[in-house]
Amino acid sequence: MAKVLFINPVVREEDVPRHIPYGIALLATLAMEKGHLVQVYDENAWRKGEAVLRQVLTADEWDVVALGGITTAYGSIKTIVRLARRLCPRALIVLGGGVLTSLPREMMGFLPEVDVGVIGEALVTFNEILAMLDSGVRDWGKVLGTISRGPDGALIMSGQRPLIENLDSLPYPAWDLFPLEEVYFKNSESLFSEEGMMAKRRLDINGSLGCSLVCKFCFHLGITGDMRYEEDEAGVVNVAFDRKGSYTRAIRYHSPEYIVKMVKFAYDKYAIDFVAFIDENLMTMDQHSGRTWLKEICRLWHEYGLAPQKNPDGTWTGVCWGGTSHATLCNPEILKIMREAGCAQLVYGYESFAPHVMKSIGKGATPASNMRSFFWTLEAGIRPIPNQIIGFPNEDFDSLRANMEAWKKLGLVVKPHFATPYPGSEWFTVYRKQIERQYQGDLEQFILDLGDASKSSAIISHNFNAVELIGLRDLMMSFNWRQLDEYERIWRINRGIPEGKPSTLYPGAGPHLAIDEPAKPSLTLVAGA
Amino acid sequence: MSDVLKGNFKPQNAVVVPEEKPETLEERFERTALKRLGGSIAFVSKKKVMWDLKDKV
Repeated sequence: MAKVLFINPVVREEDVPRHIPYGIALLATLAMEKGHLVQVYDENAWRKGEAVLRQVLTADEWDVVALGGITTAYGSIKTIVRLARRLCPRALIVLGGGVLTSLPREMMGFLPEVDVGVIGEALVTFNEILAMLDSGVRDWGKVLGTISRGPDGALIMSGQRPLIENLDSLPYPAWDLFPLEEVYFKNSESLFSEEGMMAKRRLDINGSLGCSLVCKFCFHLGITGDMRYEEDEAGVVNVAFDRKGSYTRAIRYHSPEYIVKMVKFAYDKYAIDFVAFIDENLMTMDQHSGRTWLKEICRLWHEYGLAPQKNPDGTWTGVCWGGTSHATLCNPEILKIMREAGCAQLVYGYESFAPHVMKSIGKGATPASNMRSFFWTLEAGIRPIPNQIIGFPNEDFDSLRANMEAWKKLGLVVKPHFATPYPGSEWFTVYRKQIERQYQGDLEQFILDLGDASKSSAIISHNFNAVELIGLRDLMMSFNWRQLDEYERIWRINRGIPEGKPSTLYPGAGPHLAIDEPAKPSLTLVAGA
Repeated sequence: MSDVLKGNFKPQNAVVVPEEKPETLEERFERTALKRLGGSIAFVSKKKVMWDLKDKV
């Protein structure tokens, strides 16, 4: 049986660790069920530095060093695999997750230390890799869902791994292999609601995999049916994701019984007081189930004694919870039922309150449905978390003002994200040349620069460059209408847009999105012009 | 000895995590000031200072 070391890389270094890596925790259970010897080092949780990482890598004769994560963990992953290759020369280094799946060929190039990459869902693939290792064979091209290196160094992409059909066949994540008491429960607070703020023992739960929506800034990690294998003219096979006119999705969810029994198990074993559903979108699942899924989860939440009983000081017994919703897919009835079962907070990706922007992003929502869901959610007693983004391709002064007006009317206090073309998203595919140009042709630098979109990275706004977006966000947050109007006047002169014409270059673009020519500074307006 | 490694068997070699030094007053001050950075709250991050006392005049 293989001796496996899982390492969870560091992500969001600017914040404390808050989330047990659900995928690694599941893979650990699955590997142990097959009799493998497993250890987990949660580098993101411990953050003990290289000296401890060296000890971890030399703590045993590892057959496999396995790691994975989302794209923003790339910097940490790069450090870990370099050290792992040096200190564990005979170990098989396996990398999976969204970071590998979004750009498998590029990642295998950036990280020559990686032996096998797992593309898409690893739940079956990883144990097949371990089984092959145990058999003494190393023919990774025969394991579906992998990318590996041939004897000549050429990359070998095996066939696509089908998604598992029955999520209820999965075991519970190996929570015991992560520092719950030492790290995660101490960081239970989530500032999305009063209950979220007061949570002392929060645990993440995933009830579903999938999302029916086609937001152009989103990437689904290849586990929601969004990934296809395509062959180019030269016969090279590669992954492909959302593209205009080509959207594919698979909707999968656990049964309400599975979910609530898992929560009850965690409640009894760890005394959890809050569950954060990390599902992409709970409402998608509810709609797909014919509006039965969430109702049944809520009914069982009561039946299993999990519905919170509030105390006068705001504390509670039972389990409060929160998750993700969608402006068009929610309704007052389900929101009320959810609140009665302990739902405290729901994330809404409202993104924008400008009709022309909402129409362009593939969300299936409008400013009107945003506002309607906002009031429904508040009426139900749940805090809506009104996420906003600026810097969309067709963002303009009108859309910025529409957002500010909505924030004023709805009492929203927000610092918007910047629209970011994460690898795997439709906008990454559409704007790849412009992105690479902004990083002098070095895609890896872009990936290293990616964070949680609260800072600017590659810009895809046709009208505004990074400096403008940062400044405009500041003016928006302080409701500085005067300086916004003044900047629009300057911006129009710089772009040569005469009075009476709309303040936009879209579908054209400013020099910051040019592909071929070096960027030229835009014209500057001298004082008094 | 530490339990930063968690699993279903005992590894051959123990991982020893050095004891963390308690936060100094200087570190506490700089961390607290950073949270309120802006306007009149500005400070010297002492570990980042590159000393240069040469008289350039």
